[in-house]
Amino acid sequence: MSQKYHVIVIGAGSTGTATAHDLALRGLQLTVIERGEIASGTTGRNHCLLHSGGRYAVTDHEGAVECIDENLTLRQIMRDGLELNDGLFVAVDESDLAFKDTFLEGCASCGIPARDIPVKRALEIEPYLNPKILGAVQVPDGVFDPYRFCLSFLATAKKNGATVLPYHEVVGLLMSGQAVSGVKVLDHRTGKQYEIGADLVVNATGPWAGKIAAFANVDVPVLPTAGVMVSISKRLNQMVVNRLNKPHDGDIVVPQRMTSIIGTTSWKVDDMDAIHIPQEHVDKMIEFGEKMIPALRDNPIRGVMAVARPLIGKKSADEREVSRTFAGFDHAHDGVENFVTISGGKTTTARGMAEKISDIVCAKLGVSAPCRTREVVLESYRSYYNN
Amino acid sequence: MKLNLKIYRYKPGSEPHYDTFPVDVPETANVLDAIERAWDDLDRTIMFRHACHHASCGSCGLLVNDQEKLPCVTPVKDYGEGATLKIDPMRNMPVITDLAVDASPIYQRMALIGLPIIRDAETLRADGKEPLPEGLEAFRRFENCLECGLCLSACPVMATDPQFLGPLTLAAAERLLAEPRGVDIERIYRLVDDEHGVWRCHSSFECTEACPYEVYPGEAIMRLKRKVGLRKIKQFFGGA
Amino acid sequence: MEVKPKPVQRKPLEWFNLKGKRVGFWAYVVMRLSAVGLVLYLFLHLVILSQLAVGPAAWDNFVALAKSPAVLLLDVVLIIGILAHGLNGIRLTLIGFGLGVPRQKLMLWIGLILTLVFGVLSALAIFAETK
Repeated sequence: MSQKYHVIVIGAGSTGTATAHDLALRGLQLTVIERGEIASGTTGRNHCLLHSGGRYAVTDHEGAVECIDENLTLRQIMRDGLELNDGLFVAVDESDLAFKDTFLEGCASCGIPARDIPVKRALEIEPYLNPKILGAVQVPDGVFDPYRFCLSFLATAKKNGATVLPYHEVVGLLMSGQAVSGVKVLDHRTGKQYEIGADLVVNATGPWAGKIAAFANVDVPVLPTAGVMVSISKRLNQMVVNRLNKPHDGDIVVPQRMTSIIGTTSWKVDDMDAIHIPQEHVDKMIEFGEKMIPALRDNPIRGVMAVARPLIGKKSADEREVSRTFAGFDHAHDGVENFVTISGGKTTTARGMAEKISDIVCAKLGVSAPCRTREVVLESYRSYYNN
Repeated sequence: MKLNLKIYRYKPGSEPHYDTFPVDVPETANVLDAIERAWDDLDRTIMFRHACHHASCGSCGLLVNDQEKLPCVTPVKDYGEGATLKIDPMRNMPVITDLAVDASPIYQRMALIGLPIIRDAETLRADGKEPLPEGLEAFRRFENCLECGLCLSACPVMATDPQFLGPLTLAAAERLLAEPRGVDIERIYRLVDDEHGVWRCHSSFECTEACPYEVYPGEAIMRLKRKVGLRKIKQFFGGA
Repeated sequence: MEVKPKPVQRKPLEWFNLKGKRVGFWAYVVMRLSAVGLVLYLFLHLVILSQLAVGPAAWDNFVALAKSPAVLLLDVVLIIGILAHGLNGIRLTLIGFGLGVPRQKLMLWIGLILTLVFGVLSALAIFAETK
């Protein structure tokens, strides 16, 4: 490479940090800007489910294939950010049971190793499961720690020369003509604003993507959609427990350390920063969750959280129908050069999203280095804090 | 529920002070929700660390009325209607701004110990064995310690010895010695059998009081003292 | 832009900052204060004993002073200090060997109660003798 480009990545969630890692590996010089703590947005308040793809095996073939591919890749590259406990899809009623064969076929066609296990076996592994379940399928779901997930990518990016600016908020984009030439940031540590120049700016701000894009007068069809999650004060399952049916509200119980987290619901929000949690959503979580694990109702709630997720689509669409897969936008199509947006997707597929957007970035900058994030083992999350 | 948050404010180059923010939150809210309310409604320059909001990431640790807490799982109910909550950053860590501390003292210490995970998942095992034959502990699972640093903040020894390994590190060492998983335990013994290691602990048990996740570092350090002490006695009498 | 965080200010006086602290820390502070007190007392003790070398008159003066109520009260404080430090020392030795760790707090309270009981008993004994 003859010239050293400088790329700015806005947002240190899963997408931004994975993109920073990818670009740093390709030899680009870059800076990650985050308005608060790492992973303090959508990624942090996550269900923490490392998808096997099972959830989408029947309804979204493409998404499911993406999930299992990334799931297996992350197992190889992320040494200390994952709990690999597998997942169970359990049939609670007859319609669930009728769905089982469709589900197994779906998994097979997506390459997801799923195994129909006897109910007795499932109850042995998971004593808190509803004893009346009618069937169970084991899949390679897992759990990740969202903060460590992002720190691992950033630690590796830092090792490859990237710099990270937390507590910096982007308050404007610098324009030269119809091209973005950098960002204007507010350093929250000092309260001072200053400018950082760049050859290209990547907008990886999830549901906030529209806000950043508006600085350049371009529109991003991101639909901020909130989801509520309820954390219970006891860990009631060892594996991820899913309802064996098409995706629905409150059909996943994710265990993590000493808690079980029920999720999730889905409603449209206008202000991503001021999400007020409707009590009926919390009640709904318990009601649906207890069908799979009755003890969820008997243990006190430890915390309730909600955050906006970036779903890609038009502003009027019904939320669950909108694609869960991500989208990358090269705003050259909107007449603004050197500015790309990546939004949507899932934390599980962050690496894959980063690969696609990094390919776009490199093509725009004329960099030919190939993506290496499939093979390169990430640094420990702790080394983000090495000086 | 109405509360007043008296929040520690610090911007590099200026004197620290407190700002008080009146907030109104639901009865079921946790302290972190209240701080977020103040940030969202009243002052977007309040900086605080947070990510998961369910005591899993360990990033949000701070002091509520001078006691170490994870605000994401500390109910506002505990303080009552109309209470004033004094919110400070954790002790014994450099303050970046406001409530945000530089967490490197936590992570650099834990890096000395090693990986916090157990065995692998079963579905992908190629050897064709029965799934999960050994029971639940066959899962790969995070250790309880969140690495939130509340114990480092609470420990009185940390206030005077910056090189002290600290409660979480010693607890992790004890955990590793109890189940070494192929790790070089001699290295761990050398690390903890040191004037800044296990012997520096003066048993105030503030770490155990502060720990939000049943790691009980104080108790772990005592077990570690016993382990290291007995080993030294054995070595003195020529044992291995 | 380089902005340095505020470094940790390490003050030995933090040892005596009881804000928000719990009983284990109080014991930790008492342990340190009583240790300093006992060391000071040891030197005082040596100074007083050295009066023997000065002569019988000096010693008699000291004995008269030692019988004054104020000094007797100091004796009670001394006994309480020795009991508190000694009993907590036994507790710390035990738990340092990993013995009775789950009951360390109970041991602390037992030590405190024993200190108070024997402190009061010794006060009664000392002041009864002077009557």
